[in-house]
Amino acid sequence: MMDLSPNQDNLTEILDRLSEDEIKIEKNLKNILSRQCHVEAKLQNISKVLPNVVVIRTEGEKFCNMIRHTNELAENVSAKVRQLDLARSRVYECQRRVNDILDLQLCSEGVAMALCNEDYEQGAAHVHRYLSMDQQLLERTAEDILMDHTNVSSSLITLQQAALQLRTVVTHKFDEAVKSEDLASVERFFKIFPLLGMHIEGLKKFCSYLCTKLQETAQKNLKAALEIKSNDKRASVIFSDTMTLLFEGIARIVEIHQPIIETYYGPGRLLMTISILQKECDRQVKKIIAEFMKHRCISKKVQIVNDYVRKPSSERADPKEFDLLLGEITIMHSRAELYIRFLKRRVKVNLINEFKSMINNSDLAHGMQELLGAYLALERYFLEESVNKALGMDTLDQDQQTSSMVDDVFFIVQKCIRRSMSSWSIDGVCAVVNMACGILEGEFANRLRNRLRQGYPAGYLDLAQAYSTLQTSIQHGRLQTSDTELARLMFLAYLNNTDVSIEYVETLCKSLSSEIDATFPNMQNKERGKIDSCLSGLKGVMSILRAVNDYGLEQLRVSAVKPRVTPWVDAFLSVDHHINEDDLLRYETEEPFVQTLIMNLEGLLQNFKGTLTTSNYDALIGLLTAEVTARLEKVVLKSTFNRAGGLILDKEIRSLASYLAAVTSWSVRDKFARLTQIATILSVEKIEELADYCGADAIAWRLTPAEVRRIASMRIDFRPEDVKRLKL
Amino acid sequence: MEDYKFLFKVVLVGNAGVGKTCLVRRFTQGLFPPGQGATIGVDFMIKTVEVENEKVKLFIWDTAGQERFRSITQSYYRSAHALILVYDISCQPTFDCLPDWLREIEEYASNKVLRILVGNKIDREDREIPTHVGEDFAQRHGMYFLETSAKEAENVERLFMEIAAELMEDKIQARSKELPRYETNTTSINGKTTSIGDTSNCGCSRLS
Repeated sequence: MMDLSPNQDNLTEILDRLSEDEIKIEKNLKNILSRQCHVEAKLQNISKVLPNVVVIRTEGEKFCNMIRHTNELAENVSAKVRQLDLARSRVYECQRRVNDILDLQLCSEGVAMALCNEDYEQGAAHVHRYLSMDQQLLERTAEDILMDHTNVSSSLITLQQAALQLRTVVTHKFDEAVKSEDLASVERFFKIFPLLGMHIEGLKKFCSYLCTKLQETAQKNLKAALEIKSNDKRASVIFSDTMTLLFEGIARIVEIHQPIIETYYGPGRLLMTISILQKECDRQVKKIIAEFMKHRCISKKVQIVNDYVRKPSSERADPKEFDLLLGEITIMHSRAELYIRFLKRRVKVNLINEFKSMINNSDLAHGMQELLGAYLALERYFLEESVNKALGMDTLDQDQQTSSMVDDVFFIVQKCIRRSMSSWSIDGVCAVVNMACGILEGEFANRLRNRLRQGYPAGYLDLAQAYSTLQTSIQHGRLQTSDTELARLMFLAYLNNTDVSIEYVETLCKSLSSEIDATFPNMQNKERGKIDSCLSGLKGVMSILRAVNDYGLEQLRVSAVKPRVTPWVDAFLSVDHHINEDDLLRYETEEPFVQTLIMNLEGLLQNFKGTLTTSNYDALIGLLTAEVTARLEKVVLKSTFNRAGGLILDKEIRSLASYLAAVTSWSVRDKFARLTQIATILSVEKIEELADYCGADAIAWRLTPAEVRRIASMRIDFRPEDVKRLKL
Repeated sequence: MEDYKFLFKVVLVGNAGVGKTCLVRRFTQGLFPPGQGATIGVDFMIKTVEVENEKVKLFIWDTAGQERFRSITQSYYRSAHALILVYDISCQPTFDCLPDWLREIEEYASNKVLRILVGNKIDREDREIPTHVGEDFAQRHGMYFLETSAKEAENVERLFMEIAAELMEDKIQARSKELPRYETNTTSINGKTTSIGDTSNCGCSRLS
């Protein structure tokens, strides 16, 4: 309104606007008035609820008070309960004290009576009851009631004195029983010690008693052992027998006394018993080993052996002499292992580690390690010398494919490894396996290799004659190594030796693996790994022998196969391969080239069949096949053919392949693949067919396109431009 | 087939108490077990490492140093690819015994074996053998040389890794030599021993 200044012209307009505003305001007012009723109703509602709120508040306060009260009550109650509990435990304690006091009196009277009657069990039981009481509490009790009674303290004194007295008496009686060898009394008083709280003293005393018994027996046994006559059949194992007796004695003691010790002294006490007994065992084992070393001259023998290794010219011993001795050492070692395993089974699981460290540090363990050391030094000598001896005495029998050294050497190797297993020492087995690998890879393989290096003497071959030469030479007591036949025989025998040795090593490896599993059940992973790693050395031996075998076969190829096969195959060059129809018919029935070749091959193989082992014979056929096919390919490529000539070649190659396939168990097809394909090319009717044979989809096709063209051009009836045009 | 390309046997020898077992434990398990008891016979561990992206499996034979186990431990020399001869730098007698150990090695080990001299326990304050004395010894006997501390894990990983790398290289060279067509240049391939003499400050070329 203000934006319009009132003047006559716009008065009406202002009026209009004012009335418009009025209407608007009135509308608003009406609107507000219409809501009055609603607001009033709400206000009324609120005023109605108001008294309730007051009620709720007071109720809430009441409830709160109640809870507080309950809480106080509960606390009161639990305080009472605690008090009650305290009271109850005091009553209990009191009761116990009363009981103790009553018992104390009983015991003190009882112990006096028992001592009087020499009823030590009864007395000890009373003392045991007294000892089970809380000593400090007892003394306090005694002080507490000192004014009223002197009874308690006097009982206490009585019992203390009685305990002291009993300890002395029981110890004394025990000693007496030991002195008079009264085993029943020894055990009787042994059982009383723990009642008097003398566990450790008791065990020590009892064990030292057992130790004296052990010592007596062991000394007696050792003395008997030293007095044994040398012709007695146990003489060679008398020290292992003596040691076995010792171990058996201790094992028996442990076996018998384990129940008493564990019942009267508590379950864990066996280990202490074993530890004490072990000390005596150590002393006796040391004595036995010392006597053994002295009487069997171990140090001197080891010295000789070690010197010999360093200086082979020095004094040497006959390995056979060690045979019995080696056996005896392994028995001793295995008995000690057995004994330790026995004890280990008896010791509680939670004390095993303690037991192990006790045994590992014992003189027994050290002594056994010394023995094992001596054993291994001597076993090494035995193995190496026996093998060398077997190599030196190698002989060849007419009816044998191999010479004597193979069986001899593997017999020795197996014997030594088996013997090491009988020691029950995993380290021992591993060491002997290592030694065996050493000699097989070394001297043995060298011997085979050196013989094969001399090669197979070429020349006319008649083994029957060779054998008779060999026989006469032997009969005349002179072996002429210059004899070619003999050299041939030896070569083949050594080739067989190599082959058979591979087989032997494989068998040895397998059988050892299962024998080791049987000897050492529950082997730990680490030990398993050790054994496996050492056995894998034998696999190394096998691969070395395989290389030697391959080398021998190569020698055979160079001197016996190649020089003979070459002229036979080269005969192909002197045959005309341009054949007319008439000749073709003749070739239907006869194949002059290949039949002669087969006859020659047959003659060659005949000499080796039966002389060579199956696998060597197969290998020979393999290299013969390779030689023949390679040479034949060469001469074929030097010739020219017409179709009939090609057909005949194809036929001849098939005959040759089927002959060679028949004489071996191996497949020769592969070696004939190229030749067969060459023959196919040379025998096609039309040059166009070739595209089908050597197309991209012919998987087994071995010839390159250039080769196919070259071969095709050997057909005189194919025009060179057609060959050039071939799409391959 | 197992998942590795090379397999080598490494044998540790040396006097009792020089820390052979600790070296092996440190390398194979990453531990330094204090109060280690004496090894009985031989102990055996396997660890596969990677050298130039090739898996190399190491068979580690930890031998007992005590005299009475000599027959057992000797039997492992022959097939070893590497021999680690360990002494204790704080204990003169362990160093003085080295010639005896070398005699053993000459006697039983293959002449191609890789030989490494290791002075262990360099964490100790009471050193008795100066580094250069060990180095000289190694150089005189054509051995690699390294000082280690199994306790502080110093040079232990390196020792075994360098051995693995060295053996692998030798093996690869040996393999290429086996192929006849490489025969013409075999004279130039002469294995590890040539590189030992001409190193300047240390008895070893690759281990320095």
